[in-house]
Amino acid sequence: MSEKNEKPKKRTRREFLQDIGLVGVGTLIGGSAIFAGINYDKKKNAAERVRVLTAENELLEIDKSEASKVVKPNLENLTYLQKQGREGLPGKRFVMVIDLSKCRNARKCMAACNEAHHLRPEQHHINVLKMQDSKNTPAYYMPKPCQHCDNPPCTAVCPVDATFKRADGIVLIDNERCIGCRFCIAACPYSARVFNWAEPIHSLEDEGKTYNVELNVPQKKGTISKCLFSADRVREGKLPYCVSACPNGVYYFGDENEDAVTNGTTKETVRFRKLLEDNGGYTLMPELGTHPRVYYLPPKGKEYPFQDKDKEEAGERLES
Amino acid sequence: MYTRNFRILILAVVSVFLMQSFAQNNWNVPADKKAKNSYIKFDAASARQGEAIYNKNCASCHGNPGKGNSLKSLKPIPPDLSSKGTQALTDGELSYILITGRMIMPSFKNVLSEEDRWKVISYIRSFNKNYVQLLSKFDPNKAKLVKVSMSYDPKTKQVKVDVKANEKSGVVSLKNTEIALFVSRYFGKLQIEKNQITNTDGQAVFNFPKDLPGDKTGTVELVVKLNDENYGEIESATKLKIAVPTEKPGLTDDRAIWNVLAKAPFWIIILYSAGVLAFIAVLLYLVMTLNKIRKSGAKK
Repeated sequence: MSEKNEKPKKRTRREFLQDIGLVGVGTLIGGSAIFAGINYDKKKNAAERVRVLTAENELLEIDKSEASKVVKPNLENLTYLQKQGREGLPGKRFVMVIDLSKCRNARKCMAACNEAHHLRPEQHHINVLKMQDSKNTPAYYMPKPCQHCDNPPCTAVCPVDATFKRADGIVLIDNERCIGCRFCIAACPYSARVFNWAEPIHSLEDEGKTYNVELNVPQKKGTISKCLFSADRVREGKLPYCVSACPNGVYYFGDENEDAVTNGTTKETVRFRKLLEDNGGYTLMPELGTHPRVYYLPPKGKEYPFQDKDKEEAGERLES
Repeated sequence: MYTRNFRILILAVVSVFLMQSFAQNNWNVPADKKAKNSYIKFDAASARQGEAIYNKNCASCHGNPGKGNSLKSLKPIPPDLSSKGTQALTDGELSYILITGRMIMPSFKNVLSEEDRWKVISYIRSFNKNYVQLLSKFDPNKAKLVKVSMSYDPKTKQVKVDVKANEKSGVVSLKNTEIALFVSRYFGKLQIEKNQITNTDGQAVFNFPKDLPGDKTGTVELVVKLNDENYGEIESATKLKIAVPTEKPGLTDDRAIWNVLAKAPFWIIILYSAGVLAFIAVLLYLVMTLNKIRKSGAKK
């Protein structure tokens, strides 16, 4: 037994060297293969990193394996939209400033609004009025949307909680709740509300669409509609339809809490209180105590003269 | 030979005069701005992108080029941009007009980026068959080399902005560059003070307002914008805790007569409930009395 074992032992020197060689080459090949594999994996992982934008608007890079899809709330769901529309945007208090010295009666605001909210041409959420306060004062153009009062008489009279004020200041209507009593029309001192007497203009195309309380679309016959401060656009951080449609820089829109308003035409942002302070800002009918969220800058230093053809309409309620 | 040269001279003089009468030189564009050229090549793709920007921002007044449908109620009437007068302007002049605006034409400085502006000009140029573009050699990728850092000194209430570029040859300060500081707001960027020029160390100092509201913790996002000749348009944002902490309650928190039923004032709830209870009590009293009468009648 021992002899038999010794014989192969003598040969092992050569075998040993052969084995060493084999093992060495094997290790080298295996090692490089593993190394390549790790490298490949690293690269693969790097490629599988994804960029995500957080709610705070920060761009982050994370591993794809760590990312999980956010379950989107069903936006098509009417109840969801109604609930979302009631709450408003936290921490915001929206304000609009209308600079009357810039208005040239281009009426682009009205066109954009009517298109967005599917209104008939004679229905106005915003209307450019021809104004003359007394016989000897100059006439001027005055766009007039809903004033989104902080003490709104319209919501106080609603018997069914269909019209309501939100935490961010916007006054809205839920057309699914509205019973068409028109108390709010009677209560509003600014004549900001319109009634759908006839079938709405796009009623055929809008059939089957989910009603959005922040857009008032589809419009509903026999219910009220009014300016919404474009609550759907504002939720996305965009300026309202009328504000961005104006070619003359009439409108500023912003957040009172941030003390900043942005011009819809030039996109220039200015301090809200300073703008009012420097230009003598005022609100409509302050004596009623409605505390409007729409502010006006007086028509001082107009570059565009009041048109002769509009003078009769502007002065029609003045005593001669 | 002389007469021929003379003729050419006259022709040249006349054509220069004609060009000048077409060109609307009343914009008073500075010479360096006039000579500025686009780094984007004007082709079908850039013109198509420019058309979308044009339709959104320009078409409401200028109408569609070549259609003559500009807004005639304005004074002066906005020119058709395919017209000879507009096309005689250099690319630099068109860009300058877009940036500054004038009279009734608004400034698009804050609305369109430099890239967008060149794309709009590319679209306007697509209506001129004779136009040959002078391409700028500027490389927009150089903007990536620039690093902007911001710091706040609470004693002086100043924000110090430092602009450096990491060139291969080492760190270079961006001197004499016009720089603007903004604070991000919900709908746009609020400029802090006026534009400043950086010093030799590439630094500029802005006085930060004491009364500017921030979020709950007083944090605001500061944005620095600059347009350097060598590095192009640069925008950089940093969050700093330097503004007034602001947390205003929602406007519907208080009980009020205009609020929803759940937020009605107590006096309304009490008065209304008392009224309903009184009504029910009267009804009950009537029923009880009637019952008494019926009972007294039944005894007999």
